[in-house]
Amino acid sequence: MFPRLIRTAAVAACLTLAGVATAQDRATVVAVNYPLQSFASHLLGPEAEVVYPVPDGVDPSFWRPAIADISLVQSADLILLSGAGFAGWVERVTLPRARVADTSRAYQDRFITTQTITHSHGAGGAHSHEGLASYTWLDPSLAIAQAEAVAAAITARDLAPAEDVAARLDTLRADLQALDAEARAALTAAQGVPLIATHPRYQYLARAYGLQIGALEWDAGAMPTGAELDALWKLAGETGAKVLLWEAEPPAEAIEAVTALGLHSVTFPPLAVPPGEAGFAGSFRQSVAALAAAVEKATAD
Amino acid sequence: MNAVYLAYAYLRYHWARSLVLVSVAALILFVPLATQILLSTSQRALIARGEATPLLLGSRGSQLDLTMAALYFSDERPDPVTMHEVETIWDSGLGLPIPLHTAFASSGFRIVGTTLDYFDFRGLPLAQGRGLAVLGEAVIGAEVAQALGKGVGDTLVSSPENLFDLDGVYPLEMPIVGVLAPANSPDDAAIFVDIKTAWVIQGIGHGHEDVVTAADIASGSAALANAAVVQYQRITPENIDSFHFHGSQDGFPASAVIVVPNDTRAATILKGRYLDPDGTSQLIDPAEVMRGLVDRIFRIKTLLDLVTAIIALAALAAIGLALFLSYRLRASEIATAVKLGARRGMVLRLLAAETVTLLSLAGGIAVLGAAVISTNAEAWVGWLLALGA
Repeated sequence: MFPRLIRTAAVAACLTLAGVATAQDRATVVAVNYPLQSFASHLLGPEAEVVYPVPDGVDPSFWRPAIADISLVQSADLILLSGAGFAGWVERVTLPRARVADTSRAYQDRFITTQTITHSHGAGGAHSHEGLASYTWLDPSLAIAQAEAVAAAITARDLAPAEDVAARLDTLRADLQALDAEARAALTAAQGVPLIATHPRYQYLARAYGLQIGALEWDAGAMPTGAELDALWKLAGETGAKVLLWEAEPPAEAIEAVTALGLHSVTFPPLAVPPGEAGFAGSFRQSVAALAAAVEKATAD
Repeated sequence: MNAVYLAYAYLRYHWARSLVLVSVAALILFVPLATQILLSTSQRALIARGEATPLLLGSRGSQLDLTMAALYFSDERPDPVTMHEVETIWDSGLGLPIPLHTAFASSGFRIVGTTLDYFDFRGLPLAQGRGLAVLGEAVIGAEVAQALGKGVGDTLVSSPENLFDLDGVYPLEMPIVGVLAPANSPDDAAIFVDIKTAWVIQGIGHGHEDVVTAADIASGSAALANAAVVQYQRITPENIDSFHFHGSQDGFPASAVIVVPNDTRAATILKGRYLDPDGTSQLIDPAEVMRGLVDRIFRIKTLLDLVTAIIALAALAAIGLALFLSYRLRASEIATAVKLGARRGMVLRLLAAETVTLLSLAGGIAVLGAAVISTNAEAWVGWLLALGA
C-alpha cells in the first residue's frame, strides 16, 4: 500500500516539476492589442504564452504602463506593436529593438491621415503633427498583412517551428479572407448610407467597404451628456445619418435617448480589447451583421 | 653553505649599500617588464574593443572618426546616418542593428543614446537601480557616478551644443535610474539614454501644452498655434504624454550603428552592400581600423624597446662598476682572508655568493612587481583608455 502511495506521489511530483519546467521554457510574447494577441495565439499554438498586458477596462490606445509593466514587456521574447500610432506609450518607453516587431510596417502607405496641427516653439520654425487612424485591423485585408507580419516575426525569432507557423497562417489567412468576403457581401447595401460613430475608430472599415462614417468623441459605453446628444442631433441633421455605431454596449437609457432622435443603435466593438467568447472573427461577423440589419431598417424607415 | 652565510652576513652588515644596489637592480629589471606588460595589455585592449564590435555602419568619411565615436564615445562627430539605414539592416534579416547617438554631453561625459540591445550586446550589468524604462531617464557608467558623485535619484542636465545655439538644442534634465557595474571600458565614462531621449535633446521630439481640443481632432480640422507654445525641459509623469516626435522615425539621426550579423555569410553579404564608393554610408570592420591604428601607434614601441635596452645596459654596467669598485675597496679585507688561509676559490665563492644574493633579491622584487602589474593591467589600462576617451 505505502510503496504504491510513494510511487504515485513521486510520479505526481515529477509531472508537476516537468510542468513547471515547461512553463518556464515557454517563450513569452506581448501584444499591444487584442487582434495581435489573437493572431499570435493562433500562430504559436501551445509553443508560447501570449500576453496582453493592458488591464481590464483600460483603453490600450491610452494605457500608461507602470515600471513593473514595462519590465514585463522588456523581458518578453517578442513584442508585437500595431503601428499607425496605436498605443502611444510605446513611443515613450524603452524597448529592446531586437525583440520588437512593428506589424504594420509593410503597409505604411495605406495609413489614413486624420489631422494636421501646425505650431512652433519659441523662435523656431513652425512644424506639423500628422495624426493617423490606428484601428487598421478593421480592414480584414490589413489584418491579413498584420497576421503575416506576426508570423514572420515568430519565425525569425524561432519561437515555433516554421512549418507549423506557416500551416497555421494559411488557416488564419483563409478565415480572414472569408470574413472579408462575408462583410463585403453584407455591407453592399450600406455603401453610400451615412452613418455616425460615437468615436473615430472605423476609418479603415469605412474605406474597405465604401461606408460613410462621421464621428463624435463620446466616452465608450457611457451615457452621453445633453451637449453630446445635441451634437449628435446636429451631425445627424447635416449628414442625414440614421444609424449610430457604439464602440461599447451603452446603457439602455442612452439607446432610448438616441432612438428618440430617430437613430438606430448598433454596437460595433473595434476589437482593440478582447471581445469575450466570440473572438476576433466571431465578434466582427456579429457586428457586421448587426450593422447591415440596422442599415436595412434605417433605409426602410 | 659557509660562503652563502658569510655573504649574507656581509650584506646585512653593509645594509645601506646592499639596499641601494638591490633597489637599483630591481628597478632596472622591473621597468622594462612592466612596460612590456602594460603595452601588450593596451594593444590587446584596444583591439579587443574593436574585435568585440563585429561591424560598424556610419556615414561615409573617416573610418577612424567613426570607430572612435562609436567605440570610445570620443569627441569626433561623424556625419549622422538616418534610422532608415537601421531599418534597412533590420529588414534584411541579416543582423541586429544597434544605433548609437553620441552628439551630446553632460558634465563632461558623453551622452550615448541607444536601444536596450546595447546593454545585452556589451554585457553591462547594473550595480544599482534599474535599466532604462521611460523617455528621459539615464543610466550612468561607474566612472561617471564616481567622478560626479551621483547615483540613483540624482539628475543630470544635457549641455547645449554651443553657446550660440540658444534656439536649437534645449537642455534636458534627466533622472538617473541606474548605475552600471565597472566594465573597465569606455562604457564606464558614458551616460546612457534611450535614443529617443537623445532625439528629444536634439529637438526632434518634445512635449508641450495641448494646442488642439478633442473637438478639433474629431472634426479632423487643421489647427494653427502661435509661437508661444511652452516646451517642457524635464520629462515628468505629468507631462510625458505630451511628448511626441515630428516626422517619420526613418529620417531621425544616429551617429553610428553597431551591426551584429547573424553569421559570417551574413556579414559578407552586408559588407558587399556597402562597397559602392558613391554611396552615402559605409560598413566597416572596426577591428581592422583599430589594428591599423594600434600598428601605427606601436611602431614607437620598437624605439621604446631600444631605448629601454640601452638604459638597461648602462645601468647594468653601472652596477657592475659599483660591484667592481666595492671589491677594490675590499682589497685589504680580501688579502687578510688570504693570509688567514682562504684560498682564491674560497674568496671567489664569497664574492659570487654576495653578487648572486643581491641579484636574486632584485630579481625577486622585480618579478613580484611585474606580477602585481600583470594582475591589475586590464583594469589600469581600461581606466587609462577610458580616461583618454
